[in-house]
Amino acid sequence: MGAGPALTPMGSCRKLALPMTQQTRHKVQSVDPRRLKLADPAGTSGVLLGFQCRQCGVQVFGPATYCQSCTSNDLAPVELSQRGILYSFTVVRVPPAGWPGAVPYILGQVELPEGPHVLAEVIDCAPTGLKIGMEMALALTHVQAEGSEVVRVVYKWRPQTPSANFPEGKP
Amino acid sequence: MTLLSPGREVVVAGVGLHPFGRFRDKDLATLARDAVVAALGDCGVPWKDIQAAWFGHVYYHGMSVGETALAPLGLTGIPIINVENACSSGSTAFWQAYWSIASGLYDLALAFGAEKVPSGPVTVTAADSPDRYIGGDHMMAGYALRAQRYLAETGAPLAALGQVAVKARQNAALNPYAHRKDTYTLEEVLNSRLVADPLTLFQCCPTSEGAAAAVLCARECLGQYRLDGRRAVRVAAAALTSGRYNGKGSDHSAFSPYRTEPAALQAYEMAGLGPEDVDLVQVHDAATIGELQQLEALHLLPVGEAWRASLEGRTALAGDIPCNTDGGLLAMGHPFGATGIRMVHETVTQLRGEAGPRQVPDARAGVAQCSGAGDVTTVIILAK
Ligand SMILES: [Zn+2]
Repeated sequence: MGAGPALTPMGSCRKLALPMTQQTRHKVQSVDPRRLKLADPAGTSGVLLGFQCRQCGVQVFGPATYCQSCTSNDLAPVELSQRGILYSFTVVRVPPAGWPGAVPYILGQVELPEGPHVLAEVIDCAPTGLKIGMEMALALTHVQAEGSEVVRVVYKWRPQTPSANFPEGKP
Repeated sequence: MTLLSPGREVVVAGVGLHPFGRFRDKDLATLARDAVVAALGDCGVPWKDIQAAWFGHVYYHGMSVGETALAPLGLTGIPIINVENACSSGSTAFWQAYWSIASGLYDLALAFGAEKVPSGPVTVTAADSPDRYIGGDHMMAGYALRAQRYLAETGAPLAALGQVAVKARQNAALNPYAHRKDTYTLEEVLNSRLVADPLTLFQCCPTSEGAAAAVLCARECLGQYRLDGRRAVRVAAAALTSGRYNGKGSDHSAFSPYRTEPAALQAYEMAGLGPEDVDLVQVHDAATIGELQQLEALHLLPVGEAWRASLEGRTALAGDIPCNTDGGLLAMGHPFGATGIRMVHETVTQLRGEAGPRQVPDARAGVAQCSGAGDVTTVIILAK
């Protein structure tokens, strides 16, 4: 990583997380119900969704009607792993339009054991604590855009091993 | 494969560019028309002789902008087709014009493209997409992820990436059409502000405006239109592919640069040429990492080795694989609809021996490669 503005160690979206009492007055929903199923109405836990092809066995993340590999429509809905391996990561310092979180933010590309790669923000970690190949775990944060009634539950990644969060010399 | 057997030989008879940069007082149709008039003038073809036209562009400027752009030249009743294929929109328009002539449908056709890209990070999804909340829809972040992985896998130093941008500006300084003509040192490139680690600002192509056009003709019809065969450049191959499932899901930001390979192999087979026959190449260097990985995907350098070629100067004008000889996307900017045809313009100019101070000596065959969202890839080979 090159030099640049220091990243706040805590995940950027944490700043937007609301106290539970306030959350209940807002509509809580998955950022994309086709990709993330909430396990409870408050959205404190959830699971990534996908499909597995009954013909060739390939699994995909998110919605599917036909298999991307063999084009069969004989697909079974599946719940995907909560963990994966960090394939690559970057620190985004110029955000895209519509990004509701703090800047900079870490973007992680995580390979699930089932095959698909899932892009999401990496939280609870400084970039110096990340290494390609390390194990990552799914995390959820609540994001409310300015002026919106809706609280979106967004899937994120965080290092699986907490000790990797803050390397020596970092807070 | 029947696609590899064109019915007859097609040449590029004329090329034209509108300079790349920012032109706030000109609308898209005017930019596009200026490039078309330049291409028609380059070969002396009157507008009324053109039998069909394909127009590449991405951003919305009202319906059937291609028709709006060409109408002031005269309403001749020809088919005009508007083409959107992401960053490969221009090269896709060229591909369609090529095949319309190769197949015998038309004898003389026009491919043109233009774009006015808004400032700021380029996104692929619609504004209400959940991806905007997830944070992964960011073109340069996608390139940054690839760069991080490449550096980790190959052990390449940051200087190898930076040198790509230094070289692009050196070439652009010799090109009056370039958006950015000032040169940088390696230190200036690496110390410019970070956009997405490890990519710094000068390693990312600017958002630009511009237009490009090409007149294509059946070789056997050159005489009929009184065209100069000596300045005509043969289209040896035109290949277009979309994504093929790679086991990694369909996320556009995770796409592999090696998806260029199938299009490249198709094009080499069609041309009856191999990577060893290529004298110069234009590749999709939207970010520095793009140039390195596309050179590898085109089999011009071994996988994981392009960074050494960059550091050794092999991809510079005086090297053995001159790459992005007009400055590439990094210095020309990347008006999506124009880029692919801009690459054709540069390759034709080089093969004609008309590139002036940036001329590659004895250039006989050149490759032009574009990538786009949806894993669209085009590989065009032009030859003497
Ligand atoms: Zn299947």
